[in-house]
Amino acid sequence: MRFLALTGGQTALLGLLTAATIIALYFLKLRHRRVFVSSSLLWHRVLDDRQSHSLMEKLRRIISIIIAVTIALLIAISLARPEIEALTGKNERIVIVMDTSPTMGTHTSDGKTRWDHAVAQANSLLTSGGPTTEFRISDSSGRIASSFTTDRNEIRDLLSKMKPVAADPQMPKVDATDSLVYFVSDGVTIPQVPKEVKRISVFEKANNVGITAFELRTRPSIPPVYDAYLEVQNFGGEPVQADITVSGVGGQRISRSLNLAAEESFQETFDLTPFEGGPIRATAESKNDSLPADDIAFAYLPIKRRSRTLLVTKGNTYLQTLLKLDSFVDLTVVDPASFKEGDFDAYVFDRFAPPTVPARPSLIIGAPDAPWLRPGQGVIQKPPITTWSESHPIMQFVSVHDMTIERAVRIDARDLTVVAASNQTPLIVASDRPRWVMLAFDLDSTDFPFHVGFPVFVDNVLAWFSRDQLAIHRVPGTIEVPLQNAQIRSIDNKTIEAQPQLGKTVFEAIEPGLYTATQGDARIRIAVNLSNREFSDVNRSAFRNDAIPVSGQRLLKRELWFYMLFVAIVLIAGEWFTYHKRITL
Amino acid sequence: MSTTSNVTLFDDEFLKKLEYLNIISKRLFAGQLKAERRTRKRGTGLEFADYRAYVSGDDFRHLDWKAYLRLNRLILKLFEEEEDLPIYFFVDVSQSMNYGQPSKLDYAKRVAAALCYIGLANLDRINIIAYADKVRGELPPQRGKGRIFKVFRFLSDVDAGGETNALDSLKTYCTSTRRRGLAVVISDFFDQHGFEPALDILRHFRHDIFVVHIASHEEMDPHLRGELLLVDSESQQSREITITPSLLSAYHAEYNRFCEQLESYCWKYQLGYVRTATDFPFEELVLKVFRQGRFVK
Repeated sequence: MRFLALTGGQTALLGLLTAATIIALYFLKLRHRRVFVSSSLLWHRVLDDRQSHSLMEKLRRIISIIIAVTIALLIAISLARPEIEALTGKNERIVIVMDTSPTMGTHTSDGKTRWDHAVAQANSLLTSGGPTTEFRISDSSGRIASSFTTDRNEIRDLLSKMKPVAADPQMPKVDATDSLVYFVSDGVTIPQVPKEVKRISVFEKANNVGITAFELRTRPSIPPVYDAYLEVQNFGGEPVQADITVSGVGGQRISRSLNLAAEESFQETFDLTPFEGGPIRATAESKNDSLPADDIAFAYLPIKRRSRTLLVTKGNTYLQTLLKLDSFVDLTVVDPASFKEGDFDAYVFDRFAPPTVPARPSLIIGAPDAPWLRPGQGVIQKPPITTWSESHPIMQFVSVHDMTIERAVRIDARDLTVVAASNQTPLIVASDRPRWVMLAFDLDSTDFPFHVGFPVFVDNVLAWFSRDQLAIHRVPGTIEVPLQNAQIRSIDNKTIEAQPQLGKTVFEAIEPGLYTATQGDARIRIAVNLSNREFSDVNRSAFRNDAIPVSGQRLLKRELWFYMLFVAIVLIAGEWFTYHKRITL
Repeated sequence: MSTTSNVTLFDDEFLKKLEYLNIISKRLFAGQLKAERRTRKRGTGLEFADYRAYVSGDDFRHLDWKAYLRLNRLILKLFEEEEDLPIYFFVDVSQSMNYGQPSKLDYAKRVAAALCYIGLANLDRINIIAYADKVRGELPPQRGKGRIFKVFRFLSDVDAGGETNALDSLKTYCTSTRRRGLAVVISDFFDQHGFEPALDILRHFRHDIFVVHIASHEEMDPHLRGELLLVDSESQQSREITITPSLLSAYHAEYNRFCEQLESYCWKYQLGYVRTATDFPFEELVLKVFRQGRFVK
């Protein structure tokens, strides 16, 4: 026998103290109450006659003491959580790590998924061990982790909340020094585990044709034209026939029927010019496909819409002509003296800025003075462009490395996004709220208007202001959107629960889909696709079983202390009965 | 243990009951009372003691003719030398009698007082001897109803105390008195020496014996339980005892055996016997005694 809550010495001391206390209390209880009787003559006769039963009397007392001490010892020792391996099984600490990577959603030959088999293995582990065995469970996505507990139902509850999602699967750090660690996985995304971790494999070869890449790309033109790049691969061991489809909201459709050999991939770029703006869906269908999650991918084709633009300038032929030639710009030109806010989508201010913050997104050229703009801090002669941001939407397909600027105003870019800068001053800055872009130089002092990228830059700015954007790409799991307090809706316009965090919004997307995050006028579309070779190659596994859990042999389902307390209660009830019957004392 | 206050022991209500008993006794035993118990010694008694009605057999020389002329009734003068059998009331006043609610001693006093009253009303000479370990008190012979208050006073003044030793007490008294009579023993008979030797002494001295056995309900049916230290009220000896249902049953059986032993003894030697509990009305007890026919002859 060993004790889980106290040491053997502590338990022995507790037992001794308990027994001594009970025996002392027992003899105190036996202090007799004085009762006067008229004469003890008859009592003596009766008692003397019973001398022959004195042995019974002594035995009665001894039995009473033994019962009292037994009850007290049962209660006291149960506090020490005793354990007898033959009765309650071995006390162990077991850690179960579940692989929740997307490949665990692969169907197996029995119609279930690898995840279903993994859950069954985990449940089998939970039935092993004794009632004092402690369990801990966590997953490879880092979303769920528990502390050690003997409550198997709590573990089962956490297991039911786990799902095979994407994220970035990793083997969590576990301490195997005093516990058995089991990793239940198909071995695809996490092939290697520490050697002290026991592997339980749920891998089974499967057929899979999956979309490994799907994205819309902008062709550099004015207005922008989009192509859809699609990549599909057969990860199965045999050739398959696959039907590929790219479809849009307006019923537009592009289909391909492919014969893919084992491990063969297919890539094609589709011209989406005929497609209307909105969600674009790509699907790959094949017979006996085992992983549905990578058979579909989403993208978003920006809706083409003309921008009502007001150009405020004293005269800039090049700018006027450029904007007039843009088929997606309805241009109005006014003199700065005549500027009045109106029903426009965007303003372009050429060496002018209104006295108050414009109500519409604005392109400000020349760093003019305005109360709502920080004043310039001098003029820089010939500032070279040393840094620029290629990832900013306004800089897409725009190269400024060879642009020359004669003079530029030194500006304070605090709280602004610096899109291009020299060592001395930012040259192109952008403000998100309110939305505007400012060039710290006017067009007369630069050769930027003569660069190929200038019209693209202007178009990018107008697009950034109000036109639809391409969707950002994410994999299934926990999605972060760079928009604070945004409302998230699915492709079928259902509201998705989201948590605001500092500067962003977070929500869970378990399956591929197209989501929209909206906050005021700002809108971001999110295409959640599996589109990852690593997740689609479901047969890339050399996982083998290290151990198959076996249910421990145990007689008792609960810890020993439970049965001890039960016996104590039964004894108390029995002793109460015998005491009132004057059988015990 | 408790006692009724002496003030209320012999109250007006008690006196009424006594008178009632007296009337009943006269009705029950009219014409039969005196002759059988009293013997007459012919001789001259000079000291006038009392009057009583003339009955057949009396010495007509002692008739009071003046009273006859006056009352037209034959009245007999009684002189001291006349030998009538006295009534001795032996009242156990040991500590064991001071037990119960009401106490056995109070009950015994009432019974003794009632019987004394009947005796006095019948011009019997009564003696009251309070005994425990020895004779604790004695009321000298009394005759006449007017003496009843002396009886009350004596009984009121006597307190419980001491262990029971009826043998020594009665032996001491009987050897000094030597006149036979009716001995009424009122006691609980809890005597370490046994009741037989004491009653044997009375028989030896040729007394007519009437036993009034008094018990309290607490003795007959003790409601005791658990671990007790039983203390004898007389000897103060104590004994540890565990009350169990079987022990209580054994006690009940022993108590009944004790009562049967006493009753059998009385039957055996044709002694008058009546057993009572303290909650039994004393006047009913007295009538019971009358109906036995041994007290008043």
